[in-house]
Amino acid sequence: MWRIFKDLLKHNGEFRAGALLISIVVAMAALSFISPYAPDVSYVVAPDVPPNASNWLGTTSRGQDVFWQLTFAIRNTLLFGLLVALLSRLVALMVGLLAGYCGGWVDRVLMSVNDTFNVIPLFPLLILFYFVLRDRMSTPLLAVLMASLGWAYDARLIRSIAMSLKSREFTATGIFSGMTAREILLEQHLPYIMPIVFSTALNNMNWSIGLQVTLAVLGFMDIETPTIGSMIYWANQHTAIVAGIWWWIAFPVALVVMTFVGLFLLAVSMNEYIDPRSRLAGMEGASQ
Amino acid sequence: MNTAVLQVEDLRAYFRTRYFGVKREVRAVDGVTFEVRADEIYGLAGESSSGKTTLVKAIAGLVKPPLQLVDGAARFSFLPGVRTLATASPDVVRAVRWSRLSYIMQGSMSVLNPLRRIRSTFDDFARDHIAGSAAEFERAVLSHLGKVRLDSSVLDAYPHELSGGMRQRVTIALATICNPQFVIADEPTTALDVIVQREVLGMIRQLQQEIGSSVLFVTHDLGVHAALTDRLGIMYGGRLVEEAPTAQLLREPRHPYTRHLIASLPRIGTQERRDGLPGGPPNLADPATGCRFHPRCPIAMDVCRTVAPDLRPSGDDHRVACHAEGAGP
Amino acid sequence: MTALLRLDNVSQTFNRGGLLSGQRIDAVKNVSFALAEDRSEIFALIGESGAGKTTLSRMVLGMQRPSSGTLEFEGRAIPTAPGAARRNFMAKVQPIFQNPFEAFNPLKKIDRFLFLTAQRFGGAARGAAADLAVDAALERVGLLLAEIRGRFPHELSGGQLQRVAIARALVSKPHLIVADEPVSMVDASLRMSIVNLFARLRDEMRISIIYITHDLATAYTISDRLLIMQNGAVVEAGDARAVLSAPKHPYSRALRDAVLTLDSIGLFAAKRTSNRVTEDRDVK
Repeated sequence: MWRIFKDLLKHNGEFRAGALLISIVVAMAALSFISPYAPDVSYVVAPDVPPNASNWLGTTSRGQDVFWQLTFAIRNTLLFGLLVALLSRLVALMVGLLAGYCGGWVDRVLMSVNDTFNVIPLFPLLILFYFVLRDRMSTPLLAVLMASLGWAYDARLIRSIAMSLKSREFTATGIFSGMTAREILLEQHLPYIMPIVFSTALNNMNWSIGLQVTLAVLGFMDIETPTIGSMIYWANQHTAIVAGIWWWIAFPVALVVMTFVGLFLLAVSMNEYIDPRSRLAGMEGASQ
Repeated sequence: MNTAVLQVEDLRAYFRTRYFGVKREVRAVDGVTFEVRADEIYGLAGESSSGKTTLVKAIAGLVKPPLQLVDGAARFSFLPGVRTLATASPDVVRAVRWSRLSYIMQGSMSVLNPLRRIRSTFDDFARDHIAGSAAEFERAVLSHLGKVRLDSSVLDAYPHELSGGMRQRVTIALATICNPQFVIADEPTTALDVIVQREVLGMIRQLQQEIGSSVLFVTHDLGVHAALTDRLGIMYGGRLVEEAPTAQLLREPRHPYTRHLIASLPRIGTQERRDGLPGGPPNLADPATGCRFHPRCPIAMDVCRTVAPDLRPSGDDHRVACHAEGAGP
Repeated sequence: MTALLRLDNVSQTFNRGGLLSGQRIDAVKNVSFALAEDRSEIFALIGESGAGKTTLSRMVLGMQRPSSGTLEFEGRAIPTAPGAARRNFMAKVQPIFQNPFEAFNPLKKIDRFLFLTAQRFGGAARGAAADLAVDAALERVGLLLAEIRGRFPHELSGGQLQRVAIARALVSKPHLIVADEPVSMVDASLRMSIVNLFARLRDEMRISIIYITHDLATAYTISDRLLIMQNGAVVEAGDARAVLSAPKHPYSRALRDAVLTLDSIGLFAAKRTSNRVTEDRDVK
């Protein structure tokens, strides 16, 4: 895998741009560990101060330093996105591989479940959960909830690849070499599926972060733990734009847009590697 | 009076790729010179890595990156002044395509639009080139379809409703309806059943005779060449290694590769032991120096390792590229 | 006397389409034949595409159950469900596929399949014993382990890959090999070395081979008996050379007559006539 990233870094402009943006974002998140201010305290600095030498991105109306608050916000938001992507990939892989390889009634049952999840309207459901759980709706719980709703589309994608792989002759060779179904799926089929998994993971992160920011901005979330969404929420509560405190909204938005664009560029540039044929062409090539 | 309809001069076409910083050059066609005369079927034979498919693409002007025309020419008699179709202007190409030069490719589905009825496809391809009213056009199409033994029911059908053999016959009818002067056929019968193949080959010859066109027929199957072609060229490693009238070439092959190829083909009626050639097909990305065949050649000499032999005349209308064959008739 | 392989009125019907409008396709109709246990032979299944040969081979390999009829290997029904019986069966019956480049995973090294077969079916433990078993099998097909170790499929030619596939099939010392069009995608110049290899396997290792092909010429050269299929049904069967020299069924005759070999020189030669039919038509 690393060689792929190195190659992409050297030759693909979009990958380089995406990697740069994400590095900045991750660096911000990492800085949260050396923040002089704890994330949940307020009124530690003078409020409503525009960006200057000591408060690089200004301060909020609640007396918090925007820069250091942002580091915590982006860290939590990123971790949230990663968690959702990881969990939903696991479910999508399991469902997709099993349905594609086994076929028959296993496939039919799994796909019925899949399609049910696919058509569930997410937004109303999440709001419903919020109203039911209220204060108990924590970020990790939301992550689990979204993971369990965000796997269906990609499971079908993985299933179709698994189905086509099953009919390829090397699968039969594997069977007649004594491979078990698990060995075939994990050893022979997975290399074809991983690039799709990775690319959809990046898209999944964008999706989950976007949804979480939306919910938080609307207040349907735990608003004490700083996330990008909650920062924007509090800014709105204090009518920041009207009061002229533009830095409280602008910088969180800028950072989250940077995250989206970075992830998108990474996903798009990975597409060249997703098609195994172009990858084979890169390895060497049959003479013609 | 056998003037050349197609003249290929030292044609070179390479695949040049630059993938993640690694440069590769595959010399698929490396200096090919031959001509196709009027009113003949010229066969081009070769195995994998011979370059015959790339040669046909280069002649037909279907050159897209990473394939590049590096040198040489492929002149058609009806396009004086045009070096290769690939470098000609789109207007020039459009003017000759289908009316003077047509193709029969391996997959009929690459020509037949699966979403349109056969009648519409004929309309798309040939209407512009045939004068007359719509009714006259339809009569012309029907009479032409009769030549490949298809009836009017085919016109209203979609491609998937026809069998593979019928589809290929439609493709042949499409390619010949405008009486082209030159037809390029690339493995047109390879995917067909043996029995259908025989029928289709007969039709190709019949149409060729009626129209008087020249055909460049490419296939790896020497049996098909034996049955159909007038002259035959053998390709190996991107180069032409032998060329002669078909019967003569198959009965008295002069190049070691041709000799071994013919000797290794099984026939019904004899169980005489036949052996395959040693070694494997040449690597066009890293070709052998000198003669491309020398690593597998049973009579390879020192000169063969360093100097590539030219295609020289050797007998009546017979050309061989081999140091062991003396130059001159 | 038990036969090595016995097919009795085997049929396979596929249903295409949904619940309400379906199509029944009879891929295989009432095929019966038997391979003797006491002598090894090459049994050719000849037919064009759509004749049902591949469906038949899948049933013989136990990859598909027949719609009706029985298939027995060494006296017992061919096991299709995973388990000990199936593993025992797979050690004795091995496949060879048409496309040598697809028989192995293009993204993985080919020796993996070789060593795995040695361990799972060849009774070899890991390491040196597996190396030995694989080397012996490769030697039989004219290759060395040193040439193959660590290679990917694209590094070898079609002929070489097909030999490796045959070597893999030999590792478990099978009684029967089912070869589905094994040389149709191999260069003509390399074909005979593989076809001759099959003959050697029959004679020296006493392995029976079901040789599925549409190429009558190679079938004539090495097969002992053959079966000609058309649209799923058997039209003619018997001794290979007897049938191909003097076919009785009209389809067999048409098939034999349609084969083009180097003896067909001039079949469609140009007829030099003076009157040529030209269409009286304006060409723009």
